[in-house]
Amino acid sequence: MFREIYRFELRQQLRSPLFWMIACLCAVLAFAATASHSVRIGGDIGNIHRNAPFVVILTLSLFSIIGLFLIPIFVAGAALRDFGGNTAELIFATPLTRGAYLGGRFAAGWVTSVLVLLGVAIGLWIGSLMPWIDPARLGPTPWAAYAWALGVIVIPNLFFLGALLLLLATLTRSMLSTYVGVIGFFVLRLVAALALGRGNIAHQTGAALADPFGLGALHLATRYWTAADQNSRIPPLTGLLMENRLLWLAFGIALFAASVALFKPDREGVRWFRRRATSNISTGKMLAVPLSVPRVSLRTGFGPRLVQFSKLVGFDSAGVFGSTAFLVMLAFGLLNLTGSLMFSGQAFGTPVYPVTHLMAQAISGSYQWLLWIILGFYAGELVWRERSARVNEVMDAFPSPDWLPLMSKITSLVAVIVVFLLAGSLYCMGYQLLHGFHHLEPLLYLKFLGLNLLDFAWFAILAVVLQTMASNKFAGYALILVYIVGMIALTQLHLADNLYLPGSAPAAPYSDMDGFGPFWIGTLWFRAYWYCLDVALLVVAALFWMRGNPSGWRERMKVAAQRFRAPSMAILTVALAAFVLIGAFLFHNTHELYRYQSHDERLRRAANYEKHYRRYMGLAQPRIMDVKVSVAMFPAQRRVDVRGRYTLVNKHGHPIDQLLVQLPVPDTREFKVDLAFPSHMAEITDPKQGFYLYRLAEPLAPGASMALRFHEQVAYPGFANEPAGEQIVPNGTFFGNWVFPHFCYDVSRQLTDNNQRRRYGLGPAQVMPKRSDLAARANTYISCDADWVHFSATLSTSAGQIAVASGHLQREWMQGGRRYFHYVLNAPTLDFFSFQSARYRVAREAWHNVSLEVYYTGRRAYGVARTLASMKDALAYDTKHFGPYQFRQLRVVEFPGYKSYAQTFPNTIPYSHRFMLEDLRKPSDIDYITYVTAHETSHEWWAHQAIGANVRGATMLSESLAQYSAMMVMKHLYGPLAMRKFLKYQLDQYLAGRAGERVKEEPLARVYENQDYIDYDKGAVILYALQDYIGENKVDAALRAWLDQVRFQSPPYTDSRDLIADLRAEAGPKYQTLITDFFDRITLFDDRMESATARKLPDGQYRVTMHVYAEEYDANGTGKETRTPLDIPIEIGVFAKAGNGKEQDEKPLYLAKYPVREGHSAISVIVSGVPYQAGIDPFNELIDRVSSGHRALVSIH
Amino acid sequence: MLTIRDLYKTYPNGVRALSDVSLDVPNGMFGLLGPNGAGKSTLMRTIATLQDPDSGSIKLGDIDVLTDKVAVRRVLGYLPQEFGVYPKVSAEAMLDHLAVLKGVTQRGERRELVGALLHQVNLYEVRKRKLGGFSGGMRQRFGIAQALIGDPKLVIVDEPTAGLDPEERQRFLNLLAEIGERVVVILSTHIVEDVSELCPRMAIIAEGQVRLAGEPRETIRSLEGRVWRRVIDKASIANYRAHMTVLSTRLAGGATLIHVLAEGRPEEGFEPIAPDLEDVYFGQLQRATGARAT
Repeated sequence: MFREIYRFELRQQLRSPLFWMIACLCAVLAFAATASHSVRIGGDIGNIHRNAPFVVILTLSLFSIIGLFLIPIFVAGAALRDFGGNTAELIFATPLTRGAYLGGRFAAGWVTSVLVLLGVAIGLWIGSLMPWIDPARLGPTPWAAYAWALGVIVIPNLFFLGALLLLLATLTRSMLSTYVGVIGFFVLRLVAALALGRGNIAHQTGAALADPFGLGALHLATRYWTAADQNSRIPPLTGLLMENRLLWLAFGIALFAASVALFKPDREGVRWFRRRATSNISTGKMLAVPLSVPRVSLRTGFGPRLVQFSKLVGFDSAGVFGSTAFLVMLAFGLLNLTGSLMFSGQAFGTPVYPVTHLMAQAISGSYQWLLWIILGFYAGELVWRERSARVNEVMDAFPSPDWLPLMSKITSLVAVIVVFLLAGSLYCMGYQLLHGFHHLEPLLYLKFLGLNLLDFAWFAILAVVLQTMASNKFAGYALILVYIVGMIALTQLHLADNLYLPGSAPAAPYSDMDGFGPFWIGTLWFRAYWYCLDVALLVVAALFWMRGNPSGWRERMKVAAQRFRAPSMAILTVALAAFVLIGAFLFHNTHELYRYQSHDERLRRAANYEKHYRRYMGLAQPRIMDVKVSVAMFPAQRRVDVRGRYTLVNKHGHPIDQLLVQLPVPDTREFKVDLAFPSHMAEITDPKQGFYLYRLAEPLAPGASMALRFHEQVAYPGFANEPAGEQIVPNGTFFGNWVFPHFCYDVSRQLTDNNQRRRYGLGPAQVMPKRSDLAARANTYISCDADWVHFSATLSTSAGQIAVASGHLQREWMQGGRRYFHYVLNAPTLDFFSFQSARYRVAREAWHNVSLEVYYTGRRAYGVARTLASMKDALAYDTKHFGPYQFRQLRVVEFPGYKSYAQTFPNTIPYSHRFMLEDLRKPSDIDYITYVTAHETSHEWWAHQAIGANVRGATMLSESLAQYSAMMVMKHLYGPLAMRKFLKYQLDQYLAGRAGERVKEEPLARVYENQDYIDYDKGAVILYALQDYIGENKVDAALRAWLDQVRFQSPPYTDSRDLIADLRAEAGPKYQTLITDFFDRITLFDDRMESATARKLPDGQYRVTMHVYAEEYDANGTGKETRTPLDIPIEIGVFAKAGNGKEQDEKPLYLAKYPVREGHSAISVIVSGVPYQAGIDPFNELIDRVSSGHRALVSIH
Repeated sequence: MLTIRDLYKTYPNGVRALSDVSLDVPNGMFGLLGPNGAGKSTLMRTIATLQDPDSGSIKLGDIDVLTDKVAVRRVLGYLPQEFGVYPKVSAEAMLDHLAVLKGVTQRGERRELVGALLHQVNLYEVRKRKLGGFSGGMRQRFGIAQALIGDPKLVIVDEPTAGLDPEERQRFLNLLAEIGERVVVILSTHIVEDVSELCPRMAIIAEGQVRLAGEPRETIRSLEGRVWRRVIDKASIANYRAHMTVLSTRLAGGATLIHVLAEGRPEEGFEPIAPDLEDVYFGQLQRATGARAT
């Protein structure tokens, strides 16, 4: 019997279009995970293959969680089928055992779910075969990993889930309750994972066992895996992983047995409470009463149509909102949203204030895919609703117009969107209040809601149109799927012109400073454009709206032709005309006012630039000595007018007869530069590349100077294909002097990706010159045409705004209704200046003779006080240890949060508004504002006093040192124990960064440009460890000694060898290998505390015995590691339990650099307090392959 | 008066559903009799504007049914053969919903109408109950209630009596008859009694063609003296079928009764009987299959 039931049920399941839909969706998602860059599930970054065994296993394991939503459909659905379909009596009247019945149904549902996951595996595999994947990112197809993942993780997980939900279904006999059970299970698991896994290693074992999906155990078994391991190994099925699998398999079997035992094949099911007996209403017979029906009139016209429309909408909406599925999907949406909210805007684990735009962005981000799927689903349900219920023939013979049901379906779908967005918004407001954030902005929510609604509703209309045109529901689903997959494919191919991508529109970036700025205008125009198309499609859909039983396309065409009368024609014509007209207007904006470039065109332009002009690199040019500019900003018009005067000097030993001028090439075409300088002839004029070469009529003699005047006008009118000109906006303008003319070949325009370079016939990427390249050392790494220059600027802006430039403010005045500011830098500085304008408020303080200012916007001065304090701390530390601050003012000036960075100019630090939103109310979080501010402030020393030559290792001299100063400020502020968390983040970022390296990893002392993970992240860890090993005062002294030699130096500029020499001199002979390991090699450690035990000694002290493991590796540029002798001592620590239970407050009982032996070894120390934790490198000071596993609980015997 | 002329319809799969169908349907009940698959439903749906013929014309009074569909729909009441309901909606709400869609948008008017209709079909007691729990008969009654919304001039009911118990069927037919006193009612059925009991006019349709149209009494008269009956041995049915035009065979009290169409007594043992509509019907079907056989 079991076999019959099983086979029957399986056939039913496989015939169900829902199965195919779900399987296709999952498979497509998995396909995208391997085939595209934008979808990432299994962690296939950097040197890890896209199809690495580990990636395959992780992806399939994560997908098995989807089982939570499959199982209710396939298993619970199967178990409840007979009760829903009124076939229960039929079935249970047969001599069928409960076991065979439930078992058959269950097995079929389970197998169906497994088939969906099998589809995922196939999607993954096919994705890895796609021709556009870089072959270097692929390994051999890991068949064993597929088998392992399915056998060990997926199939048992689905079995357990199936058994659990089968029990729920048999107990409750209700799909709704089953879904509620799913959600409950999901939430409980989330909470349990959070509670158990919260960085507390004590609970890791428990958490790994308690996870029914086995992911925790899988993580524990594989967390030490390197990229090479992940590319080749399969996790061993032993230990915790084995126990976890057996445990949950057994639990699943028990649940299934319980289901069989509790299953009642009668009508009532398991009775939880006594229901009131319902009296059987007499069904009555038709009475022979005379016909008497009141006369009514069938009305037409606008009013009655409106009534019909609203009634129909109500009826259709009720059908949607009343369904269990809808509630489940809404709950899932909110669950997904919760996940986004928890991580929105976080940096270094520190949360930001839940400001409304972050909330709203989390809503649109987390809904994107989900809502598309839901809308696609309900479009089918709604369009085919009457047909599925077989009431269509009645209604179709009613005298109601064809558009009535069509519009009703769309309106109901729009209602679905609104409900989702409203629920999301309310949920987010609750989240805000829960986090003590009381500044609710319902109006802003509404704006975001409107923008999102426009986006989703367009898709909803399209989905309805597609369903209407299709000859059945599943053909409709297929069409919708084709659209979605098509859109993904097109964006993958970098076809990004919104004019041709149906339904797409430019983003409307939001910032607290500038709101939606000018960007929403383009978004709305594009929406209008695509809605015109939607309307045209709707007219067509109305023509083809199925009424009655058309037999095939020919008849539908005939009917459509009949219906195509004046009103339809008029609407269609108007819609198409508007579509074309708006399209022309959009084309004018995006292609005529702006330069639209496809991805390929952009690459080709960069390649051509290099091909044509790289030969001029190093052409002897006069150097900028003096910069005088007058910058007129018109924020409301998004226009800037710059008049400048350069003084150029020939510093070479020979006359110069050619002048190379490099201008920026902005996307806007409203850009004009006039140059005026001594008589000359144009040799190269290439406005497309902004490259100009002039021959001077009279060569510039050595030591002689010339003036070059420029008048630059730039404006950002209308709108572009994607938001353009974020640097010039109504409130929050920020640009640097990189928009001025410069006098050298611009290396930064070159393509860096070797694959792209190959495609355009260029050789391998030209990285930074070596340190021995003396010609390269004639320039700093940020400028190719200037050394130290004088600067003065007159700024003007609208009356309500403050304009800020680098320099000391000399004077401020009003003239012609505009506000003027004059800034001057008396001392020579780098040719590196910022210009900003916004409606600022200013907070001022003083530190000794330096005036400190923070320019901020908005009603709330979120991080202002913290910023000022950090400026002071950094000034104090750097002045004390490295010498005086060279300016009299220091200011932090906000710019809109379109970008998240801060950048230091002479005495001025433009600072993304995002940083100001850091929520530092929880003391244990990393003080991100202090960190960023101290880092930037210290750049006034590390870059603006001493700057490296344009050779490898240059950024170590500015970024790593700024990191060092910032860490010292933080260390003195919060204590060394609190630094572990920060260092751990830095280490993790370094490890992730090196895994994603595309060219070649370099040691710190030879870091290239754009290797932030080395100069920032690794630099921080290395320099922190260095000061811990050799002493902070020695590092400070070495830095000071180096700075004193190179401060404001003339070319050739310094490089990292100079600094390292000073460090070596200070450190002494004991630490020479350590410095080599840290700076000149890529050294990785593999340290872990395997176990720690303690015994109380008679004198009350404890002997702690630690089993540790330690290895040292040398890595090459592509990450290949070789073991090297462990040649530095490693810190060993024993800690007492903190009163508050927090790791960072644990008091060290023992802490020392210990000459740990290579490999496994045991270390014994005697401590005088009760030991709680023991650790090797407990503060994550060394570059370890894995940032965790350094501490273990001490078990006391 | 409904006038149907030269209607042809062939489905894309090659099935010829209507072939040269012409009919005149006056006021009153009109029975459309035919076996399953004869093209009845195609014809009904075509009249109900749910389907277009390949060619031909249909006129309801002055209205051209095929082009002025809206005008027809305003005066149409239609109970399709496959009439489903939303299982989770109550009878009252559903009827109200349908009334709105048909155009009864005035709330008071509608409430009165819905109440009256539910009373009429005796579903008023159960108006709050979900349609999913209704029996077949109750659903049919609900179906006729909705077909009566808005005073239809043309009522089409497609196979309404299938699945009803005799008493219910009788009352359902009575109701139809009463409706038929005022307007055109087309009743399609494969049950001969439905027609013989209450249709003043009828047509028999088989294989897409009208076999016969007229008043039942007249058509019966045309068979007078030509229908013979005999009790036979069950095993010899095939033999009779081979030699005679067998109209019908049926079991009656354990014996097999056979009706045969013949100009004179076909053989010893047959007795003449007064023909009824069933004999007419089967006679037409015989001719249809006979025509196909030749």
